[in-house]
Amino acid sequence: MECSFGLTGKDYVLLCSDMSAGRSIIRMKSDENKIKTLGPHLAMAYGGEPGDTNNFAEYVERNMRLYHIRNHYPLLPEPASAWIRRTLAESIRSRHPYSVNLLLAGYDTTTTKPHLYWIDYLGTKAVVPYAAHGMGVYVSLSTMDKWWFNDMNKREGVEVLKKCVDEVKKRITINFNFNCILIDKDGIHHINIESEDPISEYEAAQPKDTVVEAPNPPLDVGVTA
Amino acid sequence: MARRYDSRTTIFSPEGRLFQVEYAMEAISHAGTVLAVLSKEGIAMAAEKKVTGKLLDLSLAPGGEGMGGEGTEAWMGGGGEKIFLLNNNILAGLAGITSDANSLVNFARNSAQRHLFTYDEDIPVEMLVQRLCDMKQGYTQFGGLRPFGVALLYMGWDPIYGFQLYQSDPSGNYSGWKATCIGSNHSSATSLLKQDYKEELTLEEAKSLCLKVMSKTMDSTKLSSEKLEFATMTLHPTSKQPLSKIYKPSELDGLLRDLELGGTEEDAVGAMEGTGGGGGGNVAIST
Amino acid sequence: MNSVLTQIQPPAPHSRLEEQDEFEHTDAAAWGSMAGFGNLSRTGGIAGMSVPRVADPTAFLDMHTDNMSSNPEAKIKIAHGTTTLAFKFQGGVIVAVDSRATAGSYVASGTVKKVIEINKFLLGTMAGGAADCQYWETYLGMQCRLYELRNKERISVAAASKILSNIVYQYKGMGLSMGTMVCGWDKTGPQIFYVDDDGQRLKGNLFSVGSGSTFAYGVLDQGYRWDLTDEEAQELGRRSIIAAGHRDAYSGNTCNLYHVKENGWDFIGNYDVNELWYEYEAKKKADRETATAAAAAPSPMAVEP
Repeated sequence: MECSFGLTGKDYVLLCSDMSAGRSIIRMKSDENKIKTLGPHLAMAYGGEPGDTNNFAEYVERNMRLYHIRNHYPLLPEPASAWIRRTLAESIRSRHPYSVNLLLAGYDTTTTKPHLYWIDYLGTKAVVPYAAHGMGVYVSLSTMDKWWFNDMNKREGVEVLKKCVDEVKKRITINFNFNCILIDKDGIHHINIESEDPISEYEAAQPKDTVVEAPNPPLDVGVTA
Repeated sequence: MARRYDSRTTIFSPEGRLFQVEYAMEAISHAGTVLAVLSKEGIAMAAEKKVTGKLLDLSLAPGGEGMGGEGTEAWMGGGGEKIFLLNNNILAGLAGITSDANSLVNFARNSAQRHLFTYDEDIPVEMLVQRLCDMKQGYTQFGGLRPFGVALLYMGWDPIYGFQLYQSDPSGNYSGWKATCIGSNHSSATSLLKQDYKEELTLEEAKSLCLKVMSKTMDSTKLSSEKLEFATMTLHPTSKQPLSKIYKPSELDGLLRDLELGGTEEDAVGAMEGTGGGGGGNVAIST
Repeated sequence: MNSVLTQIQPPAPHSRLEEQDEFEHTDAAAWGSMAGFGNLSRTGGIAGMSVPRVADPTAFLDMHTDNMSSNPEAKIKIAHGTTTLAFKFQGGVIVAVDSRATAGSYVASGTVKKVIEINKFLLGTMAGGAADCQYWETYLGMQCRLYELRNKERISVAAASKILSNIVYQYKGMGLSMGTMVCGWDKTGPQIFYVDDDGQRLKGNLFSVGSGSTFAYGVLDQGYRWDLTDEEAQELGRRSIIAAGHRDAYSGNTCNLYHVKENGWDFIGNYDVNELWYEYEAKKKADRETATAAAAAPSPMAVEP
């Protein structure tokens, strides 16, 4: 019972995911971040089998970081998507396959183009202008089919995304809270998709207040000082 | 008493030197010269062939007439003996023991393919250089092995850093250059390059600088495809993707004639009478 | 302790995707040093228990255990049925649990300790398989002590819970049945992490786990505020367990209540669920009567002069 979607615009890509976590019918959390930053211009929204999801996301995160450290530059979206796809494709053929679906969003700093990849646990990869996983598929794909167009500016893109969130809230019986990020040449920033005019709010805010350095801040990882 | 520290690569001499590694580097300075010049528009590389001679049958070897090519077909020219296509976006010029070089080329091609397999992109140039250098370094450290007697010049292109030129030696060291040279006479060639290199060279100027310096460092005054290999790395004019080109002998001779550095029938005949080849002892395996 | 450790073997199919990265691993290990990580085993430094010696232990255990009642025909029955809860508030963490152990419809015990005292600052709750929780949380206590000795610093709740979730994730699908909350106080203040047999690990302010959790949530969510006083918080924890003990057949008997503060946890008390339930009922009735009486009594304002 989860829901995520993403869409590309002229020079940015948006990624949006619900924030619920729980077990069977019980929601134990409604503020769990399920978008992982994988680099300065790369992030993924993930879902699937509990346990697998976080483990896989951390595995990807650490491998992307390792590549960055070894080569002094981060993996670009295209090779990153290939690596993630291959990892899942090898996983599904192993004794313990990961059941994780994800949307990978990135901004290619060399070509200044946004990228969005739809990847599932079978190791299927599709390069798409907009996409959804989970519950979002049923109601918001048609919304995006209708309203999405090429080279949208940020305001237009966010408007489409708001329509999707709205539709999910209207037609899906589960109540979701949504978490949204925007990736462009300046990096990854948080967008308050629930607000009236997210883009004005985002533009008015100081960059340091919206920047997403690590969506799961490592605060709770080790305690020092 | 240096001999006590010669036999095993893993042992330092009391002066803190690794003789086997130094000897390997020495072997390279007798090998055919390879030099390359970087420009904004691309890279040019020239290499001196040492194994020549009237009786050498090159009719089936790559690099013979009708061979040489561009892009994915560049491999057809790259098997002369000095310049090899490692990947779509990377060409290498080698100096040293030919058999060691072949093994390194094979390793490099495998590494590049493995990268393509996992990342669905051409391997970045420096990463491939690192892969080879990690391997070369390993052979200076583990007992019972001999270092690779090979130095390489790598020229390539990737989307992150554009055109790049690297050099590596048997110790596993590597470094990036605007113009550089390995093999015999490398120090005099390097100083010539230093003299004549200018920022903002065009590719044509880089090609000509390459061959001019080559003509000064080689024994014979006139150059010909008989004793030379030549290649460029550029971007395809429309697709903006890397385009490697290894010159066919006829193309190279044409270029040499344009630059008035040789390339005529007579120059070729003269080269055929060179002293290289099977008779030269160490020279036979060192190119 | 060593003899215990030698008995338990790491599981055969350990960390995933190890084959995939083999090339890089051998590289680093052959040519680099262990970089100070020599005290960790290659599988992550976790000794484990043995798994059935069959080709696919996961499938085998799945077939023979009734984890979450997905396979009622199975021969190995695992005890379920519990209510546990924990929440953070201004004054620390409240941990409250019931004490009933059931095997099917049979009440096997009414005096089970479902709070495992890992150390002075850490508590673990127990839901699902009693043995699984007890074993792994005791083992976690060992690891936490070793961490202190190695690092001259107490382990954070985040790190302790991550050790536990890494362990259970290794055994994912092999029939472990655990729903636990690791609660404590570290340098960042009060913390609660929920860890379950899926390998899921969640950080939060308020959790309830077990078959009675829905009933506990019903009272807990409605009465919860961050600025509860210590007494109010303890009462809320207790009242929620009583509510679950009353409604859930698999929970009950007594309630154990703990309060974690800056200097470690305190055991507050053990309360009989039935007795308290009737006390609450009586109080509710009495309160109603006073309220109705007050309403029925003529208001001074209504009195005509």
